[in-house]
Amino acid sequence: MRPGTMQSVAMRPWRLVGGGLPAACCLRWSCAALFSSLLAAGCSGPQSALSPSGVEALHIDPLFWTATWTGVLVTLMIVVLVAVALYGPPPWRAWLGRDWIVIGGGIVLPILVLTGLFVYALLVMQAGALRSAQAGEDTITVTVTGKRWWWEVTYATPQGEPIVSANEIRLPVGRPVRLLLESDNVIHSFWAPQIAGKLDMIPGRTNEVVLEATEPGVSRGQCAEYCGGPHALMSFFVIAMPEEDYAAWLAREAEPGAEPDTPQAAHGQEVFFENGCGACHRIGGTPAQGVIGPDLTHVGSRHSLAAATLPNDAEAFARWITDNQHIKPDNLMPPFRQLSAPDLAALAAYLDGLE
Amino acid sequence: MLGIKLPHWRAILWGALVAILGVVLLGTVFVFSGLYNVAASARHFDISNALIRLTLRRSVEMRSLSVTPPGDLSDTRLARLGARHFALGCAPCHASPVSAQSPVAAGMYPAPPLLTEAVETWRTEELFWIVRHGLKFTGMPSWPAEERGDEVWALVAFLERLPGMSERDYAALAGTELAPGAADFTFAPTADTDRLVAACENCHGNAESAPVHPLAPPLDGQKQPYLERSLREYAANRRQSGIMEAAAGELAPEAIGELARVFAEREAPVTVKPGERDTGSMERGAAIALDGVRGDDIPACRSCHSVSTSGQFPRLGGLPAEYIMTQLELFRAGVRADSVYAAIMAPIAARLSDEQIRDVAAYFAAAPERGEEAAAR
Repeated sequence: MRPGTMQSVAMRPWRLVGGGLPAACCLRWSCAALFSSLLAAGCSGPQSALSPSGVEALHIDPLFWTATWTGVLVTLMIVVLVAVALYGPPPWRAWLGRDWIVIGGGIVLPILVLTGLFVYALLVMQAGALRSAQAGEDTITVTVTGKRWWWEVTYATPQGEPIVSANEIRLPVGRPVRLLLESDNVIHSFWAPQIAGKLDMIPGRTNEVVLEATEPGVSRGQCAEYCGGPHALMSFFVIAMPEEDYAAWLAREAEPGAEPDTPQAAHGQEVFFENGCGACHRIGGTPAQGVIGPDLTHVGSRHSLAAATLPNDAEAFARWITDNQHIKPDNLMPPFRQLSAPDLAALAAYLDGLE
Repeated sequence: MLGIKLPHWRAILWGALVAILGVVLLGTVFVFSGLYNVAASARHFDISNALIRLTLRRSVEMRSLSVTPPGDLSDTRLARLGARHFALGCAPCHASPVSAQSPVAAGMYPAPPLLTEAVETWRTEELFWIVRHGLKFTGMPSWPAEERGDEVWALVAFLERLPGMSERDYAALAGTELAPGAADFTFAPTADTDRLVAACENCHGNAESAPVHPLAPPLDGQKQPYLERSLREYAANRRQSGIMEAAAGELAPEAIGELARVFAEREAPVTVKPGERDTGSMERGAAIALDGVRGDDIPACRSCHSVSTSGQFPRLGGLPAEYIMTQLELFRAGVRADSVYAAIMAPIAARLSDEQIRDVAAYFAAAPERGEEAAAR
């Protein structure tokens, strides 16, 4: 799958709405049709909580529908009762006024319904906590750290040398992955709607959530706690893949960055070091060992740039390097506008080739 | 009862109105007719002159109230830096102990005062205010880089010593013996490279003599593209320094490249002698320069500032700590922000604390530039 195409739909959900605005939207049915199509658009797509593909999300899904349908039933019941109270025949209205109806419907029923929902929600939460506690030796541990405004993703490995990536989380299907959520600046919130519920990332403490994908596929996640100007541009991709693919990917990820394979990319590598990019970025196998910005060792193979803000291609690299303060204002990277056009193209080609 | 009939209030009002209209009308006729003589050769009436001077003096007195002099203006190094700018930028109009006022300047009205005498009529704070802000309608310009109060104080430190200064003392302060000639020293386009180099060395020093003041960094061994860019930025007012803008603005474009080449080919100095080192501060600075500070998002300085990186990133090893601190503070305050390179440095400088700036400066002042540390990065 080309990341760019999926990305563009993910970024612009209105593209999923069939057709444009109806000409006579004042007509009741057109409005209703538009509303339902918008609703349908919001309910599908790579960032929808209503198409679960993770164990946690599959637990949450029936809870959501139970709560929603309970709300719908209660609302309908109230509407009917109010209608009866206003317009019903006198015997019905008299019946409505009895004490046991008021006590039963106004006190007992709400207590039963809300308690039921509460217990159900607690059970769902407890299931998540139990899974965290049960995480054993073979559980994969991944630390996700909220940055300004991107995600640092660190995979613990049995060899001890962690593998550092950014802005996407890879999961082997059918295997629980324990995420340790941290932040070194402000409060963020981790939410991959198709996989699990959301959980805050709080500076100075580590929160845990267990993810387990049930089927392969790519979905999208989003910071769910306002964390500064570009909060809306702090997204990520979750890539669930078959276990053997995951193992192969992890092995490749542990390797050093690819050597440039064209003269242009080789020049790009020189530009990278001449301009001090290694001060903030790491590329495995090279002297670049910076830890302030995202690890770039395999940046060319990721689904997006700048935390699901840009597609991942050479053009986007060039744009980000020179114009990042417009794309994501106040991010920590200075703009590098001094690069000549050939140098910039070479640098972009080198980075794009780091697969 | 008194036999005097008071004028009716209406009559007073009408009288005043007619008088005001008359004045406005006369004034309009006067301005548009061109009757007023703006010639510098036509002097003011004594009373106009006195009124203008009183206004000027009161304005300077009042506005300099908020000026606070920095620590020690008696520092000879500061006065030497100021004297060198004075010789280039001020002496042609205001005269000096070794040169008379230019006849051209003497023809100005008001004529620029001879500072060898006039300085004594102003307080230190007032001198600072005048040099920094200039004076309207007198031909006295404001400091080319208004944010650089530190440079203005160098000039004031010199001016304080000027009254009664002997020719010999002046020549020593302004360094005129280094480049003998009628006009002290020059950056004029007609000057040959040797004279231009001597003029630069007059402040920045060379292998034999140290810079006159830490604000003027040694240039020997600096990277050529960086030196060229700095001179161009000064000349175009994209980097702020009243002293350097005046000097660089006079240079011919080809002279900029030539000067950069001469200084870049020399061996870099180490300015801090072992006895003067503050080892604690230097060690903390070394940690920042070599590894950065992850918690503060500060990258390692050496990733860019080393011999192997772009020629546009200056070499910092051996530069005076005071110079590095001043430049970092200018970056941090957003003063030095008008070039694509400043756009890289400014956000990083903004993350540095006062103490980190001090430590990093202490490290670089004593750091070897061609040593193993530089090679390792």
